[in-house]
This record gives sequence, structure tokens and C-alpha cells, in this order.
Amino acid sequence: MKLIYLDNAATTKVDERIIQKMFPFFTEKYANPATKWTSSLSKEVDFYVEQARADVAHLIGAEPEEIFFTSGGTESDNTALKGIAMANQERGNEIISTKIEHEAVLKPLSTLERMGFVVKFVNVDKYGFVDPDEVKKLISKKTLIISIMHANNEIGTIEPIKEIGKISKENEIYFHTDAVQTVGHIRINVKEMNIDLLSLSAHKFYGPKGVGAIYIRKGTKIKPFMEGGGQENGIRSGSLNTTGIVGLGEAAKIAEKEMDSDDARIKDMRNLLWKKIEGSIPKVFLNGPQMGERLSGNLNFLIEGIRNEPLLVLLNERGIIAGGGSACSAGSKEPSHVLKTIGIRPEDYFSSIRITIGKFNSKDEIDPIVNNLIDCVKKLRELSPFWKGGE
Amino acid sequence: MYPDIIMKHFLNPKNVGKIENPTLLGEFETPSKAKAIFYFKIEDGIIKEIKFQIVGCPYAIAVCSIITELATSEKVENFKEFSKKELEKFFEIPAEKEECINLSINAFLNGISKYKPI
Repeated sequence: MKLIYLDNAATTKVDERIIQKMFPFFTEKYANPATKWTSSLSKEVDFYVEQARADVAHLIGAEPEEIFFTSGGTESDNTALKGIAMANQERGNEIISTKIEHEAVLKPLSTLERMGFVVKFVNVDKYGFVDPDEVKKLISKKTLIISIMHANNEIGTIEPIKEIGKISKENEIYFHTDAVQTVGHIRINVKEMNIDLLSLSAHKFYGPKGVGAIYIRKGTKIKPFMEGGGQENGIRSGSLNTTGIVGLGEAAKIAEKEMDSDDARIKDMRNLLWKKIEGSIPKVFLNGPQMGERLSGNLNFLIEGIRNEPLLVLLNERGIIAGGGSACSAGSKEPSHVLKTIGIRPEDYFSSIRITIGKFNSKDEIDPIVNNLIDCVKKLRELSPFWKGGE
Repeated sequence: MYPDIIMKHFLNPKNVGKIENPTLLGEFETPSKAKAIFYFKIEDGIIKEIKFQIVGCPYAIAVCSIITELATSEKVENFKEFSKKELEKFFEIPAEKEECINLSINAFLNGISKYKPI
């Protein structure tokens, strides 16, 4: 059975070209770049690490010395929030964010709240959009940092971070954005967008898992989250994950060249898929913004009368891997905080699935996806006491 | 991912649907709006026919199907004390799926408890 992978917002398949670049760093160029002054092998590895740093910097319009390698998005988010908070307590104790951030932002924020910081959440509308004017209203003399994601992982809403960056700059507030869903997919320029800190992760754009980076604008006062041997200019201790870093650098280089054409192709496939789903399955409703205003690969929709978990399992049985905003549970488990925040009815929390298209999907997969979806939805609706035949 | 017996019943659930003019109904709904309904046709204390409808997870769906197979042609009174223990003879119940399974058991027991022999 040929697998159709539709969960590219969760993670992506690694591009073969990236794997090839990584290979030599396991068994040939395996030295630790920290000893570059005494070993030529280390010096060689260091050269490739710095090249990767430059490639990542170039992708987001930063300087190489503003890029620090981490283990991924979660570590970068923790570093940004806790690092700024701990280093700048004299500047203020208020943080502005949204309730639709990833847990990698929300959890550190609640830790900071317990430590005495005050988190103010700016409202989002029913599509998940932040209104920059609402951000402005929450700013006080004590605001230290604004953390708002570039695009939402569940519903694909692309936030107006350029406007928010401008507001942050005017008010001399640090601006952090979790951009794991957008780096390598859409164009970002940290200088033009006035971003002070940005989190990114390799495996969201065809690189390996376990490696990412944080961009920290020059001159930013920050305390390290990981302490130890002082690598990465003391910002992130720990021997460098050189294979991963080389993979991340190659992912950045490929994305720089190919992301615009990939994005256009992904958008076409996504639009066609939604047109066919909407045209053939009654009572399906899009969650989040309209097609033009969301991430190109993202679809998140509600299917009336059924639950997402059995649907995902049925699709999986047919070789189709999709995602759910949150797993279905008969009991008290928390539904998706994103769907809840944008006002989806409680009875519908568990009826939504997420399909995220990536560059390795192809147009000829669309008909099999639609046909299997029609069939599986029909099967589950036949079981459902809530389904009244679409009236 | 799931035990074979759960997968088998989930993919091909038995006794799905409604019974017209059932002897009684068993229902249960959770706060998150998962719902199961059992339709019973009972004659002389014997469950002649039992069908179900459900909105719930694969475990809950499979358990409904398994219950209908266990109960068909059996005496109602044999199921007064029905619990997850009877199901544990067939498969292990993971802690995180217990509430899903309870949805099906509770709906079934709701029906059984309504039965008053004439």
C-alpha cells in the first residue's frame, strides 16, 4: 500500500539531498568543532557548521552571529521567553501573547506567571487573527516582551507580525515570534519585520528532527537556558549536533531556492483538494481563515456528525495519514485550545481533522484522498445517532 | 496501534443501527458529546435483538459491537452486573481509553437497568 502522508505540519519527510550532506558527519567529519584551534578535523567541521549558520541566517535575513543552534522549536521558544524574562527583570514584568500559541510558548509562559510575571493575552478573532491595535492597547510601561506566532500550526492563520514588530519597536519591547510553521515555507525577513527573537525547527521544512535555531538580534540582553561548556557564545551550551546542523543548513539552502515554487504548487493542491472535499461531502466546514489567508498546505475542517479519532484510524488503515487538532476522547480530556479559542462549539471540538500538504505530495494523490474520505465519513455517519442525513 | 479484536470490530462493527419499536433504549452521553445508544428487543427476559448507534472513538465503537455479540440471545438478568471485567477477558484496557469504554458500558447498562420483567 502506497502511503499518502498528509501531516506535514507535524513533521516532514527528510529531503534526500539533505541526508546526503549529513552522511559524512557521522563517520568522516565527526570531530567536535569546539577544538578547532588544535585539530584540523575539528576546524573542517567548524567550517561546515559556520556555513550552515550563514545559510540559516540568509534564509531569514539575519546576520550569522545572530543564529544559535538548538534542539528545535521547543528549546528555542523556552530560550527566548525564559532567557529574556530572566535577563531583563528591571525593564518590566509583563508579557503579551495569544491563547493560540503552541504549548512550547504557553507552558513557559505559565511558568513565568508562577514566578511573578504577568501574561496578558490579546484576543484573536474567529479566524485566529490578532488585531495589532489590540496588541497596542495591552502595552504598558512594564511590557517586556511580546510573543506572537508567525502562523498557527492547527488552523494555519498567518499573523500580521510585521505590524506587531513595528509596534514593538516603537515601544522598545522585545518581539519574539515562533516561526516553526513558516520558516522555509514563506519569506521572512527579521530586519524588515522588526523581529528580535525567532524560533525555527529543521524538521518542519524537510530537515532532520532534533535540530533548530533561535535568532537573537544583536545587542539583545538574554540569559542562557542551557548552561555548561559555553558553546554558541554561551547562549546554548552542549556539544554541537553537527550532523543535524549541517542538515538544517542544507534545508535552509534548498528552501531559499525552491520555497516559492513549492509553495505555489502546494497551494494549488490544497485548493483543489478542498474544492473536491467540499463538493462531495455534505456538512463539512472550514476552521480558521479563508484559503488566501492561511498557510498554503493547511486545511482544518469540521465534519458534522462524527469524531476525528475513528476517522483518522480508518484513513490510516487505508494508508492515509492525516492529523487531528486533538484526539477524540469520550471523557474529560482537554480539546484543542486553538479551536476552543476561535469559538468552535464544544460539541464540535472533536469532529475536526487537519490535513497539511507538503512538497512531496502530488496531484495524483488527491482523488484517492477524496474517495477514501468520502467512504470513511459515510461509514462513521452510518453509526452516528447525531447524523440525520445532512438536513 | 489497537488490539486485533478491537480493530476487527471497529472496522466491521456488528449490529449497527436502530430497531423500530424497541422494547427499551439504553443511552449515555459524555460532557464532550460522545454518545452511545443501544436498542433492545426483549421477549420473555431474553435479548432477542440488540443494535447500537454511536459517536465515539474506535474503542467505544468496537466495545458496542462486542457487547451486542455477547448479549444476543442471552438473558437480561445475566447482564445486570456487566462491567469492564467481562471485556478484560478479551483485551487489555489501557487507562487512557477507560472513559471511552465506559461510554459503551454505561449506555448498555442504562438499557438493562430499565428492564422490568412482566
